[in-house]
Amino acid sequence: LGTLCTERELIVRRHSELVHKGLEALSSLRYGIAGALGNKRWTAELILATYEQGTTGNPPSRIEYKVGKSGGGFDRLDFKTIENSTESQGSDIDLSIELNRRSVGPRITIPIPVYGAGMSFGSVSLNFMLARAIAAKRLNTFTCTGEGGYPPELMKFKDHIITQVATGMFGVREDTIQAARIVEFKYAQGAKPGLGGHLLADKVTSEVANMRESVPFTGLYSPFPFHSVYSVEDHKKHVDWILSVNPNCLVSVKVSTPVDVDMVAIGSYYANVNIIHIDGGYGGTGAAPEIAKKNIAMPIEYAIPKVHRYLVAEGVRDEVTLMASGGIRTAYDVAKAIALGADGCVIGTSEAVAVGCTHCGNCERGRGCQVGITTTDPELSLLIDPEWGARRIINLFDSWSKQWASILNSVGLRSIRELRGRTDLLIYR
Amino acid sequence: MMEMGAISEIIRSRTRLVQDMSISPKIEAEGGCGVIGVACSEQIPGRHLLRALIQMKNRGNGKGGGIAALGLSAERMGVSRNLLQEDYLIQIAYLDPTAQKEVEDEYIFPSLNVDWAGWTETVDDYRRIERLQVEPPAVRRYFCRVKDDILERFMQKNDLHEPQLAEDEFIYQNSYELNKKFYTSLGNKKAFVLSHGKDMMVLKIVGYGDQVVRYYKLEDFPAHIWIGHHRYPTKGKVWHPGGAHPFVGLHEALVHNGDFSNYYSIAEYLAQRNIFPLFLTDTEVAVYLFDLWRRVYGYPLEFLIEAMAPTTERDFYMLPEKKRHVYREIQAAHIHGSPDGPWFFIIGRSENRGQCLHLLGITDTSMLRPQVFALQEGEAKIGLIASERQAIDAFLRNLAEEDHRFAAKADIYWNARGGSYTDGGAFIFTVERTPKMSRLVCIDKFGREVSVPRKSDPKHVLDEIVRRMPRAFTDSLMTVTGNACSVQDLCEDLERRAQDHMQERLVAFDIMSWLLDNLHRVPSARQGKIRDSIESTLFRILRSFPLISNAPDGSWVRIDSANRGRLRPPAKGEHSLILDVSEFAAEGKDSASAMIVEAYRKGWKRVVSYDWRGQRFCGSGLGPNSNGFRIDVFGNPGDYLGSGLDGAEIYVHTSAQDQVAQIMKSGKLVIYGDVGQTFMYAGKGGDVYVLGNAAGRPLINAVGRPRVVINGTCLDYLAESFMAGDPLNGGGFVILNGIRFNDDGEVCELETPYPGGNLFSLASGGAIYLRDPTGIVGSDQLNGGQFVTIKDPDWQLIHPYLEENQRFFGIDINDLLRIGGHVAEPSRVYRKVEAIRLKALATVDE
Repeated sequence: LGTLCTERELIVRRHSELVHKGLEALSSLRYGIAGALGNKRWTAELILATYEQGTTGNPPSRIEYKVGKSGGGFDRLDFKTIENSTESQGSDIDLSIELNRRSVGPRITIPIPVYGAGMSFGSVSLNFMLARAIAAKRLNTFTCTGEGGYPPELMKFKDHIITQVATGMFGVREDTIQAARIVEFKYAQGAKPGLGGHLLADKVTSEVANMRESVPFTGLYSPFPFHSVYSVEDHKKHVDWILSVNPNCLVSVKVSTPVDVDMVAIGSYYANVNIIHIDGGYGGTGAAPEIAKKNIAMPIEYAIPKVHRYLVAEGVRDEVTLMASGGIRTAYDVAKAIALGADGCVIGTSEAVAVGCTHCGNCERGRGCQVGITTTDPELSLLIDPEWGARRIINLFDSWSKQWASILNSVGLRSIRELRGRTDLLIYR
Repeated sequence: MMEMGAISEIIRSRTRLVQDMSISPKIEAEGGCGVIGVACSEQIPGRHLLRALIQMKNRGNGKGGGIAALGLSAERMGVSRNLLQEDYLIQIAYLDPTAQKEVEDEYIFPSLNVDWAGWTETVDDYRRIERLQVEPPAVRRYFCRVKDDILERFMQKNDLHEPQLAEDEFIYQNSYELNKKFYTSLGNKKAFVLSHGKDMMVLKIVGYGDQVVRYYKLEDFPAHIWIGHHRYPTKGKVWHPGGAHPFVGLHEALVHNGDFSNYYSIAEYLAQRNIFPLFLTDTEVAVYLFDLWRRVYGYPLEFLIEAMAPTTERDFYMLPEKKRHVYREIQAAHIHGSPDGPWFFIIGRSENRGQCLHLLGITDTSMLRPQVFALQEGEAKIGLIASERQAIDAFLRNLAEEDHRFAAKADIYWNARGGSYTDGGAFIFTVERTPKMSRLVCIDKFGREVSVPRKSDPKHVLDEIVRRMPRAFTDSLMTVTGNACSVQDLCEDLERRAQDHMQERLVAFDIMSWLLDNLHRVPSARQGKIRDSIESTLFRILRSFPLISNAPDGSWVRIDSANRGRLRPPAKGEHSLILDVSEFAAEGKDSASAMIVEAYRKGWKRVVSYDWRGQRFCGSGLGPNSNGFRIDVFGNPGDYLGSGLDGAEIYVHTSAQDQVAQIMKSGKLVIYGDVGQTFMYAGKGGDVYVLGNAAGRPLINAVGRPRVVINGTCLDYLAESFMAGDPLNGGGFVILNGIRFNDDGEVCELETPYPGGNLFSLASGGAIYLRDPTGIVGSDQLNGGQFVTIKDPDWQLIHPYLEENQRFFGIDINDLLRIGGHVAEPSRVYRKVEAIRLKALATVDE
């Protein structure tokens, strides 16, 4: 390793090498499936398969990479096989989606039907954010700041970064709104609707506190509601405000999935938003309270068709882009979500798994994450090299793109846009 | 209060009415709305609602609009005075005109004596009303009484003994049945009863509130009380006027801005009392509650308000023992029927055959919806309630332009503190009518009268003003004001002098803006009329500056909406751009806000903006480091003023509305008045000075280094989750002075510097410097903070801000430090609230 390495660098390098080797060894299945890994939704196989796709850029040959074992939802949905479909991996398959479907405002097309979910500086490390940003830029899609400020290191990726305006409005300033092509309002998170955000004291290091302009090692609350938005007309005013600061941005609204999510969606449409982003109850890192996850918000598989059909019935479906998140793990989940009625999906956890997250669930502690993702610890953060991480995320989506093309081929479609709302192509096994 | 027997009989009599009903979930979603209510000692025509409603259009979406009028003119209705008082005025909307015969044969003629009937006048073709897309219903009006024999049978059958009560109930049930048969949300929609109370009427359409006034030709229609409403429903493609507000009970009409989270619970509460909603909206159940508690239970308004918005937490314990006892009983009985969530109601009610008219505004206990009250007293007296102050001023301005008895500004404006021991979160304007005259009084929930500031001889006021003026002004005034006897004369003189010379105009501008900024310090000068004279003169003077397109070599040039395309960078010697905001859009690319950004980018250093009419986002969008740019604001700026400000300075020579300085980063903001809800939410920094009060939730989630002086107080939740570091080490703080100005323009203490039960809750950084010489604020108001004695470094920190505060508002630091005639040590007057390390914020749960 040479004498130029400091002791710290040496430790970091050896630690990450071992962690990565271990994960690679595990996904080779040489030692069988690790018993303690994963859960019914994110099974050990899905975790290892996702990691392997991050390494190879191809669907794994030996491990299950399409579904988990939850016994419901995406795990029991499947695509019908169409007899005379051509199984060619044609390059003429269009995987792109449009993020602005209104007649006004800038057109933004992303070449794959996914972009990155908001994960804040503080909840995750800067290096992981950078990895996601580099990947988003190379893939020509987006990633999102989350609510923790806009680290200056991200500025050079600003064309591919969504500025999130969440209820605590940490780090939201005019310059960060003006820098963005898309601004996302986060009203609620499907993993913990009605609970706001809470960054535990442990993770609020001086750097995090600095970025959020708060007090080090004191827990940070983001309130559950926007204190200035208690109705749809307040919401419209809120959107108008963002547009007064940056008239050229698209506005996305991220909401969780309560029973009246359709009403929320139509209200957002009337407030002139471009993207309605519904976040189901299966997402969230280990920092979201267990009691909330999966127990409050509606499963995303129910919410997507509910909102999609509602928007169709209102005659406005083709003026908004519907993005889904909260438990979208695999390329197949994305395709199924689109067949249920979404335009595309927003991905958080899978990107983390691609760079080594094992779903251990210790995200809320500063030194809890042994792979350097959900940490603000200055040493643990170094375990993710941004370039290395970006490569893995790109590989993951390369693999996913191959799978989407194959799915589309198998159902006889040429474009992912044609798949939207085609529940007739799905069966429930 | 009503006798128990009668209450049970009435409720029982409805059994038949609802036996086939079940509780349905609410099918309509709404939330946003624009509301205004006006009560006046005189009858005023409906056209004055127009401007206010038009200026609040961005609070509705054109899918529902309505108005209510109470205290009508017999002459205008074409009936005798006696008939207007004695008869029920039933208004039926016929969506299907062929249903008329069927409706009348079944629900009108068999049981009612119709003394007068006729169609409500409308414009010929609804398409003549701009943007009105759905034809409003034809409305037929019936003045009628219940037939004697029918009433007698009804009383016998239901064991009711009081004829007036029974007749009211009969009308209520008759209309309910009519609606059930001809109009339900889930069934057919042919006809429905708009209103049926005495001396009151309701009209509603699929459209905006102002379109109701125009379609039904109410421009010249006089009434004592007006309520106007824009609705913002979001569900369903098929819209129907029945879903629009106001909704009626019997003698009341209610409009609502908000959204209940416990609709179903209220529906169950009502079902236990044989009431089932037909239109399935929050608003409908709210008015049923009101009718139930007022008419059926006979509750006094105070108890009714308590049932609607219960007093809780610290506020409850601040009530006198006797009240606590009664309120506890009310809450025990009705808490399940109490609306939860964000809501604000305006209710008009006609009592005693229209001889006593009420206009009420009630806010939810957390004050989550916007609300402003105002009162003006002169030759006539008028009270107003609205979502925004700008709407109140729009109404008054319209009125004052036509009727010299009114001024374009109210004498006082205030907010209600929901569910509180201080005002109860509700105010009631009552118009009492006798054949000879009518009078208006305003009381809070507890019956305490709200009065306007003292008025006195105009000459005396002028003298006091001149006495306080800076020397430079008085010198230049010498030549013109020799004969002036009032502020109005002074304004006229200055305007005359400003006509021809640029220099004189600039002098007049300086004097006028000084006047607006200093009226609070002058005895008897806090009157709507005086402020109106000054402001309207100032607008005329500013309007006399040359337009940018044909400016000679002046240092100030003007631009307005019609010429907005002509904006250019400042020429040599030009330094201020005068912006006439009146005709600009409220938001979007043609807004005043966008114009200010453009002026800034083109190199202007100062924008003097005037005649704001509720336009939003003033000063937003300038971007980072806008230091050296200054905006002056005159008129009625709308919400989100200065939100995102980062470097520039804004001087608001009036009051500001809601969401001011949200996420402000740096710069300076001076507000010569009050400020509305969620002021400086998530603020990051900047120096801010507020002459008056802040409404609910100021400085929530603020971080960084905001430095704020609020001279009045706040409704509640000041600096919740405040995270502004160590104030002695570059962090932020709020100085809360807890003062007001009395009629003599002197500083005096508020009853309490902070009435709310939540101060600095869950805060982890920053500090509040609370001026509380007698230690009124208790530690039970803190949740995560503690009182500490202020030390020298604290005083050194805040002193410069108090000096600046003195410079802006003339609030002498010695006056702030004075206790009982003596200037005391700062540590005896100010208390510091600082964060304690809460376990909840500092530990990780295991």
